[in-house]
Amino acid sequence: MFDAFIEGLFMVLQWKALLYLCIGVLLGYAVGILPGLGGGTTLALMLPFIYKMTPGEAFAFLLGMHSVVQTAGDITSILFGIPGEATTVAMIVDGYPMSKKGEAGRALGAGLSASLIGVIIGAVVLLFSVPIVRPLVLSLGSPEMLMVILLGLTCISSLSGKGKRALLLGLLSAGFGFLCSMVGQDRQAGILRFTFGLLYLWNGLPLVPVMVGFFALPEIIDLAIRGTSIAGKIPDGTLTKGVWDGVKDTFNNFWMTVRCSLIGVVIGILPGIGGGVAQWLAYAHATQSAKTKEEAAGFGKGDVRGVIGPGASTGKEGGALIPTVAFGIPGSSAMAILMGAFFILGIIPGPDMLTKYLPLTFSMVWILVIANIITVASSFFMIGHMAKLTLVRGHIMIAFILLLCFIGSYCENNHIGDVVVMLLFGWIGYLMVVYDFPRAPFILAFILGKMAETYYYISTTRYGFDWIYRPKVIAIFGLVILAVLYPFIQNKLKFRKGANA
Amino acid sequence: MKRYVVLVSAVLLFLSLLVCPGSVSAAPYYEGKIITIVVGYGPGGGYDRIARIVAKHLPKHIPGKPTILVQNMPGADSMIAANYLYNIAKPDGFTIGAFNRGLVFAQLLKADGVKFDLTKYAWIGSAAIESSVLVLRTDLPYKTIDDVAKTKSTIMLGCTGPADSSGQFPLFQKELLGYNFKFVTYPSSADIMLAVERKEVDGRGATYSSVKPLIDRGVVRPLIRGRVVEPGIENLPIDEDLAKDKKAKTLMAMRSAPDRIGRPYVAPPRTPAAAMKILTEAFAKAAKDPALQEDAAKNKMAVEYVPAGEVQKVLQYILNQPPDMVKEFAKYIKF
Repeated sequence: MFDAFIEGLFMVLQWKALLYLCIGVLLGYAVGILPGLGGGTTLALMLPFIYKMTPGEAFAFLLGMHSVVQTAGDITSILFGIPGEATTVAMIVDGYPMSKKGEAGRALGAGLSASLIGVIIGAVVLLFSVPIVRPLVLSLGSPEMLMVILLGLTCISSLSGKGKRALLLGLLSAGFGFLCSMVGQDRQAGILRFTFGLLYLWNGLPLVPVMVGFFALPEIIDLAIRGTSIAGKIPDGTLTKGVWDGVKDTFNNFWMTVRCSLIGVVIGILPGIGGGVAQWLAYAHATQSAKTKEEAAGFGKGDVRGVIGPGASTGKEGGALIPTVAFGIPGSSAMAILMGAFFILGIIPGPDMLTKYLPLTFSMVWILVIANIITVASSFFMIGHMAKLTLVRGHIMIAFILLLCFIGSYCENNHIGDVVVMLLFGWIGYLMVVYDFPRAPFILAFILGKMAETYYYISTTRYGFDWIYRPKVIAIFGLVILAVLYPFIQNKLKFRKGANA
Repeated sequence: MKRYVVLVSAVLLFLSLLVCPGSVSAAPYYEGKIITIVVGYGPGGGYDRIARIVAKHLPKHIPGKPTILVQNMPGADSMIAANYLYNIAKPDGFTIGAFNRGLVFAQLLKADGVKFDLTKYAWIGSAAIESSVLVLRTDLPYKTIDDVAKTKSTIMLGCTGPADSSGQFPLFQKELLGYNFKFVTYPSSADIMLAVERKEVDGRGATYSSVKPLIDRGVVRPLIRGRVVEPGIENLPIDEDLAKDKKAKTLMAMRSAPDRIGRPYVAPPRTPAAAMKILTEAFAKAAKDPALQEDAAKNKMAVEYVPAGEVQKVLQYILNQPPDMVKEFAKYIKF
């Protein structure tokens, strides 16, 4: 096995493979930075180029490209408050306020270094899970998936923020998210829900325009009202100094970084849940690390841990490869396209990947790590320049960011309806900001709502109500209850400590 | 500071132009022109992959070697693309499209949102034949369809919803042959495959091409097929032959008829005959092109040209069924 591991490294280090890897990274970088244009679509566009490549080269190219998209998307989220990718929205919550405070350098330093650690941890898990991956994925049936989704939904409470009526507002926001996730043709009976006679809505509200509008437009309005640059007025030279502070922040919170990476890995392994959720759960976990009430209130206003957590969720890249490689069953649309690449190269993903093609499997581990090292290292050279963008006068930036929002929303489906959805949700998002509704619970419920419904339905048609008694279901449900009660217990404890002091 | 803005905007603008395919201008010849294939699904699926293979090899066979682009227009089971091609796209031969073979049922059942008449498109034909099969796990005791007919225990099958006619292929056996099936609806085909692997469901109805990798690996075994056949499954029993009365036979024949036009390709209605002649001839030639066949085989897909005349026959057969038959059919397939 060790031989295969080393052989995998050499597959990547051949000059042609390495060259393709660099081209892939460059493409992935551009795709990641541009909002709307997703990793999956680009993978599909690049498929025709791999016909003449060897498997080692093709994966260096495709996987290299795919694995850096989120890392690069984080940069857009931090600097402009627009999600560079659908998977990097959570980064905005604390990353953009840091930019507004003039700490863009520190935020980028922390986000990128956490991102790199996340990918490495994901790759290590992929590496060690090779022997046990089949039983691992097979042990999670639909009822267990439902429980994991429920566990994800409990994060609504920690994402609601702190304050007197925060939980109520958070739950209202989540309820609205559920409602929006129900739009479209229902999967079980084919009934059309909230489609108002529009074909456009049959497949539900599109994720990217909703997120772009929801998070970017309110910030643009805010920028217009303030009439300054994103970073406002800050003393010269402070902007870029913080880069190494950011890196240090990541290492100061090393175990939290590891835990957030592992959250990413788990979400990656579960087929169908998708990367968008990973970052939110990692963020929610990061907010729980607040030790005092003042600290807790600081989240959402530019706490560096709120950047490290989402950054580290890149562990999902390694995790997502696990079901794809082991079963030939993709966990996401990007992975489905990667599967197409397997076929083109004459490889049938599945048990063979763990025996006959073991070096190739290991080369993927290396590709993940090397591609992200290249990305993060080259970003560090540019952070100074990128951070300076936050000093550009607002009225120039607004035109530019708005353009990106429109292109980002339109590009995925080339449908004008996407632009309308973006504007509509921009308006809703702005109202929510004005009236202090937290926006994160909406997104979580919006992504997970339909999945919760689907898996509940599958569990019940398949097993009747017997699924409730499955031991793993009970175990995960125990975690769900713990997660629901934890903030209350924590609050009580803090309060008591405060009273004693 | 302005330098950064200008530089970054220029780079981003350039990149965004690269990714947003522009509109196509009309001109009389294909020389130096662009043909757009509008695909009714997102990137990566079967319809998209075949379209990209076609886009790669078709230009060689068209005089003037135009560039062919694939544009994804997903939504409403490709009905958005079908409506676009029928009502909006210019009939100039520069836009063609690929959509769901099951749309004929949408038209038959007068589904919401149908703004097209399939018989009036300028048909190029179909790029493939897709047979429907029922596959069950090899670790189960069902070796033939007789074992399935005799069993007392419920067989759990995965499907993706009532509009998926290959997934609903076994529903006809349940309702008309009395087999003991129960259906569980999953979000996507991949989810069903995984559910099969972890033994959550016993099998599924699907197109032969999509389950072939699992058959080859010995995970599942095909037991029964629809009327339309592909190489490799000729010897399987056919559902219609097992049906006892004429009504059941007709319903099954209606369901399997669109399998013959597995990957439909059309141009907008009233596309000039001259352009259609070039396109159909090129399509027929491209389908036989060894280079295309090799690419298709690598993608685990088979490309076979079905001419426009045959497509019309299939459409007429389904759309001209008497109303009571249509009513009966609507019980099984929804749109």
